[in-house]
Amino acid sequence: MSLHDLYEQYNDKVQFILIYLREAHPIDGWWLGGGIVGLVLRLRRSKAAKDLYDPKTMEERRKVAARCESELKYEIPTLVDDIDDSVNRAYAAMPTRLYLIGTDGRVAYAGGLGPFGFKPQELKVAVEILLSADVSATDLARQSVGL
Amino acid sequence: MLKAIRARNQQRAWQKQYDSLAPKVGDVAQDFELYDANGKNSIRLSDFKGKKPVALIFGSYT
Repeated sequence: MSLHDLYEQYNDKVQFILIYLREAHPIDGWWLGGGIVGLVLRLRRSKAAKDLYDPKTMEERRKVAARCESELKYEIPTLVDDIDDSVNRAYAAMPTRLYLIGTDGRVAYAGGLGPFGFKPQELKVAVEILLSADVSATDLARQSVGL
Repeated sequence: MLKAIRARNQQRAWQKQYDSLAPKVGDVAQDFELYDANGKNSIRLSDFKGKKPVALIFGSYT
């Protein structure tokens, strides 16, 4: 189950928003483009960019976000976190994370820390429960859904 | 190599620090307003309250 599949299946009922954060593996940080890891990523044809420095200004960040949106063609509306990383910090989102917010404005699903806690299948289950039962996130929190 | 290890350790410490403050299931999701890559159109999370659930997908390009 990819995020694109999830988007295709539910985008008429759920608003999907992708939030572009500061780079997780820029050249000037924890870079994964070299050595054995870089070779493995190339062999696996990873779509992740390996030639980026972490944007230092909002203009630079928007340019990289636009390139990401254009090259990956995931079709999900993309917003760009501010240069102070305020949304990133509020949701402890870096490097990747998933959330589902109910119509009552409460968190219905909070995915684990990325990258290992990034599980679209779990988000799918939460979406299905939320939509099928028409429950609020508060109700969902009271249920044991095994997430 | 040392730079990468230092960056990795910093990232893990960052996650640990902010995850304890992040909203959990049942908590009110903090509102935000962000712009698209053109910097022209903004969206608020609260725009969808009472209308549609919202799936937030956080990530980057590397």
